[in-house]
Amino acid sequence: MTTTPTLLEVEEVGTPVAAGGSPASARRILRIVTRDKGALACVLFLAIVVLMAVAAPLITKLSGWGPYAFDSAAIDSSLGGVPRGALGGISGEHWFGVEPQNGRDLFARIVYGARVSITISLSATVLTGVLGVVLGMLAGFYRGWVDQVISRVMDFLMAFPALIFMIAILSSLPAGNRPVLLVVVISAFGWPYLARVIRGQTMTLAGREFVEAARASGAKDLQVVFREILPNLRGSIVVMTTLAIPGYIGTEAGLSFLGVGVSPPTASWGQMISSSVSWYSVDPMFFAIPGAFLFLTVLSLTVLGDKIRTAIDQGEAAS
Amino acid sequence: MTRYVLARLGGVVVILLAVCLFTYLIFFKLSPDPAVMICGKTCTPERIDSIRSVLGLNQPILTQFGEFLRGIVAGRDYGAVHCPAPCLGYSFQTNESVWSMLTSRLPVSITVAVGAAVLWLLAGVIGGLVSAVKQGTWWDRTAMALALGGVSVPNYVLALVLQYVLVVKLQVLPFPSAPAFGDDPVLWFESYLMPWVVLAVGYACLYARLTRSNVIDTLSENYYRTARAKGLGGALIMRRHALRPALTPIATIFGMDFAGLLGGALITETVFGLNGIGKLAADSIAKNDQPVIMAVTLLAAFFVVIGNVVVDLVYTALDPRVRVVSA
Amino acid sequence: MKRTSMLVGMVASAALALTACGGNGNGATGDSAGPGSKAVQGGTVQVLANAAFSHLDPARGFDGGVNNFYRLIYRTLTTQGAAPGAEGTKIVPDLATDTGKASDGGKTWTFTLKDGLFFETGAPITSADVKWGVSRAWDPEVGIGSPYAKQLIDAPASYQGPYKSGDLPTITTPDAKTIVFKLKKPFADFGSVVAQNTFTPVPKGQGEGNQLDGKPIASGPYKVSEFKPGAALKLVRNDKWDKKTDAVRSANPDGFQWTFGLDPATIDERMIAGQGTDGDAIAGSVAAASVARIQTPQLKQRTMTGINGCTTYMGLNTTKKPFDNVKVRQAINLAVNKQTVRDAVGGSALADIATSIQPPSVAGRVDYDPYPSPDHKGDVEAARKLLTEAGFEAGFPLTLDIRAQPKMQAMAVAIQQALEPLKITVKINTIDTATYYEVIGTTSQQHDAAITGWCPDWPSGATFLPPLFDGRNITPKGNSNLAQLNDPGVNAKITEISELTDVQAANTAYGELDKQIMALAPVVPLLYEKVLMLVGSNIGGAYLHDGYSGGIDLVSVGLQNAGK
Repeated sequence: MTTTPTLLEVEEVGTPVAAGGSPASARRILRIVTRDKGALACVLFLAIVVLMAVAAPLITKLSGWGPYAFDSAAIDSSLGGVPRGALGGISGEHWFGVEPQNGRDLFARIVYGARVSITISLSATVLTGVLGVVLGMLAGFYRGWVDQVISRVMDFLMAFPALIFMIAILSSLPAGNRPVLLVVVISAFGWPYLARVIRGQTMTLAGREFVEAARASGAKDLQVVFREILPNLRGSIVVMTTLAIPGYIGTEAGLSFLGVGVSPPTASWGQMISSSVSWYSVDPMFFAIPGAFLFLTVLSLTVLGDKIRTAIDQGEAAS
Repeated sequence: MTRYVLARLGGVVVILLAVCLFTYLIFFKLSPDPAVMICGKTCTPERIDSIRSVLGLNQPILTQFGEFLRGIVAGRDYGAVHCPAPCLGYSFQTNESVWSMLTSRLPVSITVAVGAAVLWLLAGVIGGLVSAVKQGTWWDRTAMALALGGVSVPNYVLALVLQYVLVVKLQVLPFPSAPAFGDDPVLWFESYLMPWVVLAVGYACLYARLTRSNVIDTLSENYYRTARAKGLGGALIMRRHALRPALTPIATIFGMDFAGLLGGALITETVFGLNGIGKLAADSIAKNDQPVIMAVTLLAAFFVVIGNVVVDLVYTALDPRVRVVSA
Repeated sequence: MKRTSMLVGMVASAALALTACGGNGNGATGDSAGPGSKAVQGGTVQVLANAAFSHLDPARGFDGGVNNFYRLIYRTLTTQGAAPGAEGTKIVPDLATDTGKASDGGKTWTFTLKDGLFFETGAPITSADVKWGVSRAWDPEVGIGSPYAKQLIDAPASYQGPYKSGDLPTITTPDAKTIVFKLKKPFADFGSVVAQNTFTPVPKGQGEGNQLDGKPIASGPYKVSEFKPGAALKLVRNDKWDKKTDAVRSANPDGFQWTFGLDPATIDERMIAGQGTDGDAIAGSVAAASVARIQTPQLKQRTMTGINGCTTYMGLNTTKKPFDNVKVRQAINLAVNKQTVRDAVGGSALADIATSIQPPSVAGRVDYDPYPSPDHKGDVEAARKLLTEAGFEAGFPLTLDIRAQPKMQAMAVAIQQALEPLKITVKINTIDTATYYEVIGTTSQQHDAAITGWCPDWPSGATFLPPLFDGRNITPKGNSNLAQLNDPGVNAKITEISELTDVQAANTAYGELDKQIMALAPVVPLLYEKVLMLVGSNIGGAYLHDGYSGGIDLVSVGLQNAGK
């Protein structure tokens, strides 16, 4: 399920990260990552994906086919629309082959699909980050009824079968602006996992001497929260959000896979995998290409997130 | 303790009611008019109106919600159609009571969930333990790298790859079809094997990482070192002092994950065409069959919430320290 | 009878073509003769299906699939023939001794029941049971299937079926064998109407609510022995049915076993593998992705194909700007690339390109192409010229309503691509499958265009053009005239044809009306979709029936070897 990555964030990050990293952590993380060959490969792959997303129109101009243009000559109408030629129609013309039944260029669709995946997962990460951090800090700092209300809402949202509900809502909402809807729905069910951790850590921090000191020197609540507590949560936030991005990429792809993601003719990796399902025995490349891109992107992000977490943990152990 | 249990159960009812009301309100606006559904291909506005009044659809929404809740306890009638208690609604698209739809599909979901759970517990915990003991070795590094890969592969991608390789190319497994165990145990096992594996992989990798880090943590804790210094032997020490504290958190997470799966492994069931709760959910969503969507949401929430409580209670029994805090 | 007159021209030749495709096995290879070879007595035919039947109650169910199934357990006064091609759509007597006697200028119709007819309970089938069954059509909850009884038979305006309003005085039963219908106005083809599901006998006093949906009362050769909604349905022989009273149903197998809720991909895999009891199985049309896989000689021998008798079209809402301009509508007709639309549903194996509104299986239909383009790939230049004349060379937006189905989305994207060069930006509005017809049938909610299909209730223009294009039938809800075309010329012609008493002349006139309507271009005919069936190797007596959306005629199918 798409819940796996979310669990990963909660359970693995919840315990070890107690207080934030040292100011030098960014440089140290960079040093650790550049020294690790595996991490470097991940960074390289992600850089390519990001480049594809950013320069999509330029790249497709080079390759010659746009993501929506039909190529009836590349498919065999009398055989149900299967691509002509070996390996799903891979040729100089179509670098990754074509989509069955309409002959759209798979390379162009992969390139444009990267845009969708990245935009949606980054936006969802930002939105959950903001919601989770603010609400988590409020609950942890004020306690009392504020905490009660926020915690009950979190319990409620986490008891919800999120995937079923997300699909149900998305399928019955009018088409509208799909990407925005996706981001909102994903974030609505995603923020409690971050907020729970932030709340716990805020509670611990609120009792520390430097917070007491700030209060004693007359700082207002908001100042204490944003100037004293927030900087100390930086480590947890960085780790949790890096680990959340691959989760959201997976969720977006999963929702598109189940047919409630981006609306046609927009390309997304999940949508491509979804339409390849019925074709996998006749045209395995149609499935293999988007499947490989999705897997490698998620893997790269997970590995990278894991390295960053280790780096921060070690930093704490050292300091 | 009894008071604690009662309080928790009260909380369960409140959460379930909230889930219920929330789902009802949301889908009330979004769902198609059941009266139109019943009315069929050739329909007149007057007929729709008469059906609406028979079904009570012209009443205020909260009254209807009350009717729905009463139906769960006492059953209810939709015009000439009787829906016996516990009535979770009636699907006018399939002409079945939602309760019977759920009960007929639950066995498949339970089979999928139990089989996968056994697999991932065995693979995850054993893999994690071995890695922890052999920390830093070649074995550990390979296992943990694989675990990262396993966590990253979306399960529908894995499902399709397995299906392509094992069923279409090598033909070592049949096309999954969810037969009854009694009819043909071998076919039963072969049919469920792929769903189990697909579902288990993500969790197994997660549990392996978790077990490993928990065991390593306990191995470095003070009481363990003390026990060791007192000269206790390797196997005993491992079992009593390292395993129990390291695995208690795993049990907690397991309870939650397993409960979540009972509500239907939506993607796995859909990809393999297994008629469980998850596929029912996907099908009903595709058809916008609101009573069924609502019931599945409720059922899944029910399992999650109950799972939560059971985990808490078990945890309290396992670890005396928690009892003081939560009481 | 009246039906024979329809079997001319296009229908006959189309039917021949059908038989040619369908009878793949006929004499092709010695002993294993394929699906068309003779079926023997005995055995159980397996049916693998995705969706369950909508209803088992004959007054409720009304679509090609369920109509075909009903013939196994129910009988009607008349019924369609049991043969491939045109013979299959010919109306023949079933419970009645003939196809009806008209009097009072066609306003009164009398039918006489055969001897030796019994329900599965052993009770004799009387005219009172037929009347009870027909009058159920007026019940607001039960009578949701075929509308023709209600539309044609005279009845008090307040009549609400036998359970609520009691006896219906306009259907009389002078004795246990005779039933007389009084119509609102003369109707020449009433012999075809009494073949509709609503003319199934139901024992007097029974069948209220959803009783028959759970436990049908059989009058045909089989009865339901086990029914698990959404999962399985088992039919066994009804020993009260007497073969001597039934010239239509071969009823060779001892039983039928349906398995519902199977994934379409799973069905295709199982049919291709054909292991175990799957050798005795039939199923629905294969998916586009499976077409390439069934090209081996062994599998080809097990396939049957034919058109499903429906037209898939895109309706253009003539009340919205700029679609009120006939030139704009004509331009869209010219520009749509029907090749890519066809590829979207699975290519030439799964659909033929449509040029006229009525499909080839409809009597009197004329084959013509009012908006031709090379290879049907769309003529963008001609379209642009028309748009320029109409003053829309700068383009305009078009919102296209479609059902949330991969096939529909693929078609919509193909149309979107085809209209792009004309600067017509197509916005695809996906509506979930359950509410789709409700939304597009509500005139205030439908958008500029919608993709949908229409199947005739019996293969005649009478059940095709008037429901779709009679401007006087436009209703705010449940509207089927999606184009909202209200053209005086067309309306007048429809009235004129409906007054013809000669069915053949009427069908020819509908063929001409098709042209008259297409000149106004209220719709873009897209496809005549086909069925492509793969059956088990032990299946015999199978052919595709024109009257049941191209499904395998269930009353004739059986096994080649019952002992297997």
